[in-house]
Order: sequence, then structure tokens, then C-alpha cells
Amino acid sequence: MSENLERRRFLKFLGAGSLIVAPLGCSSVDEDKNSNQPHYIMVFDQNKCVGCGDCKVACNQANNLPEGKSRVMMEQQSGGVEGQVCPQCGKTSCECERKYVRVSCQQCQNAPCVTVCPTGAAHRDAKTGIVTMDKAKCAGCKYCIAACPYDARYINKETDVADNCDFCLESKLAKGELPACVQSCRYDALIFGDANDPTSYVNKLLAVKDSVRIKSHFGTQPSLRYIPIVKQGV
Amino acid sequence: MDGTIEFTMGLSDGIAWPWPIAVYLFFAGISGGALAVALFIRFYKQQTTNTPFLKAASLVSFATIALGMLCLVLDLTNPLFFWRILVYYNLNSVMSVGVIALTAYIPLTALMALFALEEEIKQIPLLRPLVPVIDKLKGIRRPCEYAVLALALAVCAYTGFLISALVRFPIINTSVLPALFVASGLSAGAAAAKMLAVGIFKEDLHSQDMKILHGAEWPIMFAEALFLFMIIMSLATGNAGAQSAFEAFHTGTWSMVFWLGVVGLGFGGPLLLNFATGKQFSHSSQAFYLSGLCAVGGMMCLRMFILYAGQNFAI
Ligand code: SF4
Ligand code: SF4
Repeated sequence: MSENLERRRFLKFLGAGSLIVAPLGCSSVDEDKNSNQPHYIMVFDQNKCVGCGDCKVACNQANNLPEGKSRVMMEQQSGGVEGQVCPQCGKTSCECERKYVRVSCQQCQNAPCVTVCPTGAAHRDAKTGIVTMDKAKCAGCKYCIAACPYDARYINKETDVADNCDFCLESKLAKGELPACVQSCRYDALIFGDANDPTSYVNKLLAVKDSVRIKSHFGTQPSLRYIPIVKQGV
Repeated sequence: MDGTIEFTMGLSDGIAWPWPIAVYLFFAGISGGALAVALFIRFYKQQTTNTPFLKAASLVSFATIALGMLCLVLDLTNPLFFWRILVYYNLNSVMSVGVIALTAYIPLTALMALFALEEEIKQIPLLRPLVPVIDKLKGIRRPCEYAVLALALAVCAYTGFLISALVRFPIINTSVLPALFVASGLSAGAAAAKMLAVGIFKEDLHSQDMKILHGAEWPIMFAEALFLFMIIMSLATGNAGAQSAFEAFHTGTWSMVFWLGVVGLGFGGPLLLNFATGKQFSHSSQAFYLSGLCAVGGMMCLRMFILYAGQNFAI
């Protein structure tokens, strides 16, 4: 009982906190260089994601990507969708819980794509530390695509150059907004903020929630955290 | 922790580096290998004339690196962006360092071909304007040869370093790969130049140069086999990712390419042709060309296998 109460209060606090802190976290993008370098991270909460795909659509629109393309995908890991086979049990109709996972650039702090790019087109933004693209420099050699351990880069067929999720650095963050996918998620499955800011919502969230990183054994230090569905009894 | 969270999809729609890159690796290996072997012999025997083997090697070397560059450029998403690699540099990138090496290497291979083919150039009216250029540059021939020898080996090794930097492919991400590529480049390059030397520049099948080549061939091939064995063993005994990549050697189409192409054609072919046939046949020109073609074909299969099987078995 009391645990429930605690939880309620905590959630309320988080909710209020995010309203105040999240925009602050973003405005620090425009701050001068003397301040501590921000470290933007994104948290994907698998418990909340229903696989609606709104984030993909929003990404496509925000970044003017070619029809049907976005820098993020949802991988369905289990659970039947009508007319499709469940990836977990292999049946067309099943009782498996629906599980999705976000596939996108992990914003590595030690990013192989940046290291291998011969032209410096794939680079780290000086102000925000976000891995992004200088489209005018990319030669389309696809070295970065082969080097990315997450297979999170692709060639944009319209511009003929490589592309990756950069947290909407130019399209949204520059205007002080949250990344398009985060804005569009109706289920609050995506949380974005500065991990170097002790007062940020992501910081508080990660302090209380267990989260994991994907393929952390590559040593790339990804900035995306995942809160996996953990079964508690049946 | 097992089964926390993973994803297996990717955004790139399949193989990032398709066959033109394998062909490029093949050509670059032949180019560097042929020239390196020819210059080794030249220094070792203190030759001062333009031997048929040197002529052939410098011609092969220039032609293959030019074709290799063509493959590289055509594989860019937009070949018109090629200039960007030449203008912007990132010294952390193996590719960028390689581009620097190649911008010195390619003109130097052209120069080597000019020096070595001086007599031939004099006989072709169309190329005659080049003669005064050759005369002018003759003074710096020696230093150029030293430089190009170092660069030729660097180019061979660089093609290995280029792809071994790709951490997610256990077959590709090994430190032995550059050494393997140098060894196989040397053997295939020597084979290609040998065939051209005999076929076009009328080298005697049993000349001095050919004898040295013949003596060097087997140790190089042995080194190549050893490096391959090292890669295979480290995969077979490695972590789970390495072991799953080890499958490439015994299942699927690429295992066929490996066993038939790399092992059968590349190693088995020359060995059988030289040691399992009668003395008369093994000294004939048919056996000579066949075993040369085997060596070159085996090397092409090796590059294909490494690139495709490598990218298919990601972790
Ligand atoms: S996930 Fe891939 S594209 Fe993104 S920063 Fe890491 S290496 Fe680069
Ligand atoms: S494709 Fe473009 S961004 Fe990627 S490594 Fe090549 S030049 Fe750099």
C-alpha cells in the first residue's frame, strides 16, 4: 500500500519535473561553450511502447526524409499483430506480450562512424556533442555504415549521402524543441535530456529505473538507454 | 546478462560494401604485390636493365591500381562526390590515410611503368612525346623505386587495415588480416606479372628471375595458409560471436567459395600442377599459365569470401 503511494507521489513529481526541466535541458544547447559540455541521452521505455510507429512518421516529417524513410525503426520482438507471425512463438495468433524495441543511432560517445569517416562528414557537433552529418562533405563511401556496430546508418536516396539520427539537432533542438519522435510519442515511451545536468528528468529517471544499453560490449558508449520489460510473476 | 534487450534489424538495407569493393581489394593487392616483388628482385640481384619481369610488373601494377580506383569511385553513392575524399581529410580514418598513400603511389606506379617500358614507348609513335619526360626524370629513378616499394607494401597492407577496422564482423575484424592481404597480394601479384612477362615480354620460362620467383612462391604461399589458419583457429576457439562467424567456413554458399575457390583453386591448383603431374607437364607453359591463373583466381575468391562472408556474419 505504502509502496503504491510512494510511487504515485514519485510519478507526480517526475511529471511536474519534466515540464520544467525538459525545456531547460534543451535551452542549454544555445548556451556558451564555457558551461559543461552537455551529454544528451534518450531513454526508450519498452514497457510503454505499443509499436504505433508515430515516432517514425514524425521523424520523417521533421527531417524532410524521402517518402517512407526515417532514421528510426521499431523492431517487433514478440506479440501477434493481425495477419503477421509472432517473432517469438511463430504463431499467427498468440498470447505473447507485445514487445517493441527502438532501432536508431545510439549516439555513441566513442563513435566508430566518426573515427572511420575519411572526410569528417560524420562528426560530433562541437557544441552539443551529438553525432551528426555534414552533408556537404560526405563522399558516399559507406565506410561509416559498415563500421557502425548498430547498423544504424543508411544512405539517403535523395541526397546520396549517409545519414543518422542526430536527435533532430538541426530540425528541432536548434529551435529549443524536443526531438520529433519524443514529441510525437503519445505513450511517453521516449524521454530525452541532458545526462550531465543533475536536475534533468532523465537523470532522475535513470537513478530509479534499471536501464540497459545495447551491445555495450563494443565499447562505443552508446547514449541510448533502454528500460526493458521485466516480467514480475505471472 | 542474457536476453536483456537487443535489436537485430538495421537501417542500411543489407551489405554496406558490395562486390566492387572486393574487386578493388583484389586489384590493389595485385598492384602492390607485383611491383613489390619486381623491385625486391631488382634490388636483390642489383639489376640495372629493364628486365621483362620488371616491365610486366610495372604495367600490371599501374593498370590494376587504375582499374581498382575505378571500382572504388563507381561504388560511391554518387561518383561525382569523389573529390570530397581528396579535399577533406580525417587522419583518424584508415581510409583517409590510405588515400594519402594512394595519391603518392599511383603517380609513382605510372612513373615506374614509364621507366621500365622506355624502349617500348620509343617504338610507339603516339607515345613518343613521353620520351623527353623519361629522360628528364631518370635521375630520380632510384629514390622513386625505394619509395614505391615501401608504398606498394603499404597499399597491400592498407587494404587489410581498411576493413579490419570494422568491429562488428568477426571474420574481418582480425589483426592478421593485413598480413594475410600482404602475403596473398605478393603471391597473386607475382603470378600475374609472371604470366605477362612470359606472354608479352618474351621472358624465358626458366630464366634467372623466374627461378627466384619460383623459389619465393612456396614460402609466401605457406605464410598465406598460415595466416588463414590463424584466423580460422581464433574464430573457432573465440567467444560466442567468433564461433558463430566460424560457421561461414562450413555452411552456405560462402563456405563453397572458401573451400573450392580459396583452398582448392588458390592453394590446391598450383600445388597439384607443380608436384602431382609429370615433370614434363609441370615444366610446360600450359602448367605455368594454369597455375598462375589459379593463384590469381584464388586471391579473388579470398577477397570475395572475406568481404561477403565477413559482412554476413555480424555480431
Ligand atoms: S550508433 Fe552507429 S551511427 Fe550512431 S554514433 Fe554509434 S557508430 Fe555512429
Ligand atoms: S559515407 Fe559519408 S559519412 Fe560515411 S564514412 Fe563515407 S564520407 Fe563519411
